[in-house]
Amino acid sequence: MEQDIKIETLIVMSLAIFAVLAAVAFLVPFEDENTKLFFIALVAVLTSINVAGLFMVWRHTPTVVDEVFLMTPSGMLLKHYTRRLRPDQDTDILAGMLTAVQTFVRDSFDEAGGKLNEIRFENYDILISHSKNVVLAAIISTKKPEKLRVELKNANDDIETQFGEMLSHWSGDKSELGDVDSIMKKFLSGKYRK
Amino acid sequence: MELREILKKVVLLGDGGVGKTSLIARYVVNKFDDKYIATIGTKVSKKDIQVVRPDLIINLKLMIWDILGQKEYSKIRTSSMSGAQGLILVGDLSRPETVRSLEDFWLKEVKLAVGNIPTVIVGNKVDLLKKESMEAAMIEAMGMRLGYPTLLCSAKTGRNVEEIFSTLGEMLLADVTPRAKSQKDKPPQTLAEVVDFIVQDFCAQYGDLEKAMLIVQHQFEEAGVDIRKPAKDAVLHALDGLAKAEELTLTKSVARVNLEERQRMVILSKG
Repeated sequence: MEQDIKIETLIVMSLAIFAVLAAVAFLVPFEDENTKLFFIALVAVLTSINVAGLFMVWRHTPTVVDEVFLMTPSGMLLKHYTRRLRPDQDTDILAGMLTAVQTFVRDSFDEAGGKLNEIRFENYDILISHSKNVVLAAIISTKKPEKLRVELKNANDDIETQFGEMLSHWSGDKSELGDVDSIMKKFLSGKYRK
Repeated sequence: MELREILKKVVLLGDGGVGKTSLIARYVVNKFDDKYIATIGTKVSKKDIQVVRPDLIINLKLMIWDILGQKEYSKIRTSSMSGAQGLILVGDLSRPETVRSLEDFWLKEVKLAVGNIPTVIVGNKVDLLKKESMEAAMIEAMGMRLGYPTLLCSAKTGRNVEEIFSTLGEMLLADVTPRAKSQKDKPPQTLAEVVDFIVQDFCAQYGDLEKAMLIVQHQFEEAGVDIRKPAKDAVLHALDGLAKAEELTLTKSVARVNLEERQRMVILSKG
């Protein structure tokens, strides 16, 4: 959210600069035509730099992940990672209900048995990545889910490769889980980003 | 003392209106409204059970999937059963047909979906029955024939409801034993080793390593424990503080068991 505010501020500032320079270029009487053309060219160059700068900022702004639920396809929560403390939230139940909702949508609307990959609300998105034994659901509020989708899938694939076999017959004992944290830390710190 | 956290998915099944939802309502962690059962076919709630065994404390989390009882919605029901490790089958003792359908319909459906899993059969609304009723005898005979524990319960009076979870919990944990201690796990000898063991044990049981270490640091500072050269009195004093923190996150009984065990280790340690 902080990154979004910065970009929005930059956009407003750029527009303001452009408006002032454009007004000066067209309203102020210049001594000769060459000076006026030079000033208009300067406005165009500055505006281009602004646009390019904004694009670079947007491109390199990381998508901030608020919460991640690492679950089994049957809705059992293996791990939960969050940036925010929400004492009223029971993450085990939430993971179960998130799975129940996916089951409902799949069985009600998709005869072929596809997967629900995204749930979108006004202020945030839930991106869901599935593999045979692992489900990763990431809650994000930075309005750029497309940047995260591939990272989420890559993290899921790594967990599936390392822990999928164990999870296929997991007894429910959390001490058998192994070190999934290292993969999740890599994901949360943006190391899956290309 | 070894601590294990075990998660099990349990499905709650039976005909519509037998009282499945009411039966568990007061005994589990409910975060979602019952209307979700009618809208998406399922509601998930949680029951925490703590099982204390010699050398082993098990925090068992039963994730209870309360599934719509109308028989027509088989697709959603079968999907929701996926991965279930335990089953609570509920019949209404005042409606014998709901008891019969436990064996004729529900059990068959569960076996098709997830195979044989630990099961408890429940006859609900026992408060409406006269003593030695036919229905109670019928459900008990069914349970005996199938080899499943059978409980006569009442959501209204609360009779035997806790027993449903404890009975199923014991069945689900039947194979769980303390891990064999390796040479590496030999008991700590010196006071420094004991302190190191206690810190690790506290962090493991507390769950959140970062917060746990802050609590340990604070309690050690309060008690004046010098980690490089600990004194028994100071360590014993710090243990009281750690136990108080554990009372808030675990339970009083676990905190007390841990405190006594740690005190014993400190007193018996060398140095």
